[in-house]
Amino acid sequence: MMVFLVMMIAFGLIIDLVFGILPIFTLVFLAIASIQTLVSLTSGKEIVLRSVKARELKANDPEERQLKNIVDELSIAAGMGKPPEVYVIDDDSVINAFATGRKQEDSVICVTSGLLKNLDREETSGVIGHELSHIVNRDILLMTLISALLGAVVIVQLLAFRALITYLRFGAIGAATRSRRSSKKNDNSALAIIAFLAAVAGLGALFSFIGRLSLLAVSRTREYFADARAVELTRNPSGLANALRKIVTSSAKLQTANVATAHLFISDPLKRGINNRTSFFASLWSTHPPIAMRISILENKTLTEIEAELSDYI
Amino acid sequence: MVILFVVIGILVVLALWLIGVYNNLVTLKKRVENAWSQIDVQLKRRHDLIPNLVNSVKGYMKFEQETLDKVIQARAKAVSAQGVGDKIKAEQELGGALGRLLAIAENYPDLKANTNVSQLMEELTTTENKISYARQFFNDSATKFNTKIEIFPNNVIVGFFGGKFESFPLFEVTEAERGTPNVDLNF
Repeated sequence: MMVFLVMMIAFGLIIDLVFGILPIFTLVFLAIASIQTLVSLTSGKEIVLRSVKARELKANDPEERQLKNIVDELSIAAGMGKPPEVYVIDDDSVINAFATGRKQEDSVICVTSGLLKNLDREETSGVIGHELSHIVNRDILLMTLISALLGAVVIVQLLAFRALITYLRFGAIGAATRSRRSSKKNDNSALAIIAFLAAVAGLGALFSFIGRLSLLAVSRTREYFADARAVELTRNPSGLANALRKIVTSSAKLQTANVATAHLFISDPLKRGINNRTSFFASLWSTHPPIAMRISILENKTLTEIEAELSDYI
Repeated sequence: MVILFVVIGILVVLALWLIGVYNNLVTLKKRVENAWSQIDVQLKRRHDLIPNLVNSVKGYMKFEQETLDKVIQARAKAVSAQGVGDKIKAEQELGGALGRLLAIAENYPDLKANTNVSQLMEELTTTENKISYARQFFNDSATKFNTKIEIFPNNVIVGFFGGKFESFPLFEVTEAERGTPNVDLNF
């Protein structure tokens, strides 16, 4: 959190120092950063859960009771003091799960009802182990912070771009009417403002572009890492591998997920093709590593073997 | 003068490092102790669940009276066991008896259809899993601690504190658990 604030202030300071208008942008950025941080940290969990239409667990349903038990078991394995809350998305055609929440103590694991119906105890344990390790490694906090930072940069970039357009449209007319009286000083200041706004918009665009790429890269490495941790917790690679297989072969697209929440899930809920390709360019833009690759690592087989096995689906 | 400052500097750094190592060891030790108490909590839960389970399956499993008796006896032994060594041995026996009961129960479709029993079975399964996960976590954190106090230069520091940091014993697989189960396929 501190890192995020410092980065935002530094970004503001750079702009201020370049143009010699010291406190203005630093303050603006500080304000934006604080608001963004507050919003994303306090309400992130609730917003995500509402946006995917998740409901609380029903303790008297045997399958959901078993899910709760599995979560409790693996929390013990991971040495967590308090197990995370469990939520369910009612959609029998989808097999997927995600974890969210800023701290270990108020984290949430959410699974689809299709996962409960289609996976057995071992497979569910693999998936839950994967989600728990996201929580223990504080991946969610990291991802939330990066997206909040990205959001703030995008806002600044948009504001600067808007201002630039407006200035070009109206400022230019004003300058044209005034130029009859021909004042050279006026022209210079107009040019400076245009250059300044263009620079802010350009810098913002660059930052958000690089930020997006790094967010994706972080997201992918964290998935591999969580897979490894899941195996460490359950001591059973085949559970998770078979769960991933079932996700590829029989899971539909999750209607309530969107681009903003997709990276939270264990496997891309939107089933975008890019996430299953292994070329360099595709892997630069995907949120999740290809499932075939993940299975091949878990089962210690070659990628071509798994790809051949799942060729009908990917 | 300069030399004095350098010496003081080195001493301060050394002291800070010592404090760091000490605190780290204490944190790890507490974690191991907590892991140990987790195992106890789950064992207690196992003892509480067994009478209920045995009572509800009794009617269905008339032909498995021997297995049920073994579970009840093992439980009684585990509850009354005194001392760590006895306790571990009794719990291991109970674990074995329960494992057999759960495996046999798979052969009784009526039993699995009964929601009350299947709920109890699920509770028992999760408790068994929790016990083994708690042991796993205990072993993992105890190994980490044991390694930490033995590597150089930590072992020298541990020496200063006498008996405060001693390595924890680990759970090991018993001979009975290690042997492959006999599966009879001659029907």
